[in-house]
Amino acid sequence: MEAATLKESFIDKTKSKLGVSPEDSRLSLTYLSLAFIILFVGGFLGLVQGLNRAGLFELPPWFDYYQVLTSHGILLVLVFTTLFMTGYFYAGVSHVHGGLSPKVRKMGWTAFGLMVFGVIMTVATVVAGNASVMYTFYPPMQASPWFYVGLTIMVVGIWVAAAGIWTSAVQWKKENKGKHLPLFTYFGVGAYLLLFLGSLGVTAEMAMLIPWAFGWVETVNVMLSRTLFWAFGHTAVNVWYLVAVSAWYIAVPKFVGGKLFNDTLARVVVILSVVLNVPGGFHHQIIDPAITEGVKFMHVFMSLSIALPSLLTAFAMFAVFARAGKRKGAKGIFGFLKKLPWTDVRFLAPMIAMIAFIPGGAGGIAQTNNQLNQTVHNSLWVVGHFHLTVGVTVALTFFGITYWLLPYLTKRTLTPRLNKLGVIQTWIWTIGMLFMSGAMHWVGLLGSPRRTSFSTYGDNATALSWDPYLFLLAIGGTLLFIGVALMVYIAFHLMFKAPKGETEFPIAEREANDITTPRWTERWGLWIVVAFAVISMGYVIPVVEMIVNAPPGSPPFQPW
Amino acid sequence: MRQAKYGIILYIFLMLPPVVTLFEFNMTIHMHMQMPLLAAAGMLMYPFLKQKFPGFFEKYNKNGIPGIILFLIVVSYWLLPRAMDEALTIPAVEIFKFISWPFLVGVPLRDSWSKFSVMGKNVVLGILSILFVLMAVIYIFSDSQLCNNYLIVEQITLGWAFGFIALALIIYIVQQFFIDHSEYEE
Repeated sequence: MEAATLKESFIDKTKSKLGVSPEDSRLSLTYLSLAFIILFVGGFLGLVQGLNRAGLFELPPWFDYYQVLTSHGILLVLVFTTLFMTGYFYAGVSHVHGGLSPKVRKMGWTAFGLMVFGVIMTVATVVAGNASVMYTFYPPMQASPWFYVGLTIMVVGIWVAAAGIWTSAVQWKKENKGKHLPLFTYFGVGAYLLLFLGSLGVTAEMAMLIPWAFGWVETVNVMLSRTLFWAFGHTAVNVWYLVAVSAWYIAVPKFVGGKLFNDTLARVVVILSVVLNVPGGFHHQIIDPAITEGVKFMHVFMSLSIALPSLLTAFAMFAVFARAGKRKGAKGIFGFLKKLPWTDVRFLAPMIAMIAFIPGGAGGIAQTNNQLNQTVHNSLWVVGHFHLTVGVTVALTFFGITYWLLPYLTKRTLTPRLNKLGVIQTWIWTIGMLFMSGAMHWVGLLGSPRRTSFSTYGDNATALSWDPYLFLLAIGGTLLFIGVALMVYIAFHLMFKAPKGETEFPIAEREANDITTPRWTERWGLWIVVAFAVISMGYVIPVVEMIVNAPPGSPPFQPW
Repeated sequence: MRQAKYGIILYIFLMLPPVVTLFEFNMTIHMHMQMPLLAAAGMLMYPFLKQKFPGFFEKYNKNGIPGIILFLIVVSYWLLPRAMDEALTIPAVEIFKFISWPFLVGVPLRDSWSKFSVMGKNVVLGILSILFVLMAVIYIFSDSQLCNNYLIVEQITLGWAFGFIALALIIYIVQQFFIDHSEYEE
């Protein structure tokens, strides 16, 4: 009996040390493999789109610019990110909990099936030429009903994935009475909660669009559906950002020889992100009609409040770097910069991601202001902005995670050669994005519109003056595709070819003098209700106005 | 004392004429943002007041019940459409609003809240949610304009805002009955 217990505890200990059980690793690897395949396809579409926009490449009539644009957006902004997030959180939760329960694993697989089914259905309608509505699918442009049905199935997949993480958290709490959730799980619970809250908006929108697309109702309330979309769209972007932030707090300190700055602060960042985020969607509608100026003004505050957790994170991360540098003997205010492991790709990639968020976040704050937004709203500036935030801050952090997560899951190691290749990939990506995003920002300020295929507007002088920038955009896009190809190669190499060995799942330790984490951080019941109340208050004024004083609604348009 | 400073800064900010105009231009913002923020200013000032007048709170609000009754009476008064109308048209009522919310709502609420058990807190939240459901029904379904200063659409909006806040409170109360904390806490 005693031997059996000993054996069991030995197995448990080994599991928690070495991490992942083969079943759990298979689940996460499936998500991550598909994520990288999607990255390749989406990246390729980005390349042809950039070349076409610069007037360098003619797209075939059966797959035009808007089909490419829609597929690129959906595959990269929605699918790559969701798949990566789920693979990452399921792997991490499995690690910190010492394995997933069969029930949770089953939920993970069900979610995967639903997401894949939904994506295939959605993308098929776009490829067939029935849904060139871009990833924002604004009505009155109307896609095939199956486009919306596919997206809805994807959302259900997200809910099931979320339920899996929450179930695992509840199981852990039951087995570890009185203890705080591990910080990694805490981020997972928060990120999925935020994604769930945001998805309620798009689900409500689908309830309007699906009957309209099937022809059961004739018209649609355009303003309402745009508003419901941004409740989701904006939140989703912040969810990807929160996933990246989780790695910054938990993994990055390990690579710089530092420790977690402050456990409570990290948890407060999660809570604030969950509570404040959803109504921020309004800053995407600053130039929309049908929302009064006063309400827009109020929402500027709501949007700017989201900068608070970001600023807390910036402070915490630089504190971690400075402390780690001091421990290594750094002198002066910026001496720590010399002590950072710039040649370690596991640090370099997320570090550049963080640095990119300084102009990315600042640009976001600028766009939140009414007058500045009016200048840039429908221009390529905005595209440049989200390629900086999602394309660098989020994507490069995800790549940084890949260098340790994949070898951890496959029980392989990151070789110095692969590390070097990773560093090259990171710089190619950074330079490519500097060209592309920089050109987009600048040409946007000069008036070049977004969401439009290449045109010289009858050789108009202003439009022609954009050409050099669009050319830079194409160069950046080409470099980025080289970056994508390298990254996909590295990912699959880490999965199948890298030498066998053990890789640690990096979880930063707490500082010795860190304060005890307060109990209230565990009161999810309260935070959910507060988030619900904040969302209700944020939306009730414009949404009631849009419903009560609704115009007759719009019939569908299919301009392709 | 830091809290008291923040409270006073918030209080002064809310009194600035452009801020007052902004917070009163819409019925929902007036009732669900300006008024609670004034109460929050009072709640932040409470530790300072408690330090200055410890005997007062001990004497008049020993078990928290007088404080919460005062809180409920003043809140109920401000739920009346006429009260909000008069705040916009009669300066004395506007001044009363700026005094009553911090000092007759925020301060007694914070003083009483710490003295209540979980059950006591749930009873207060229960009363508020019933009150808010009632307000939601009145404001959403009333055919006539209840406030001279606000449009009917704003009235309906306020009704829905009450409905959602009531729903949030009800979810909070109900979830406590379904979660057995002994399963998670030692």
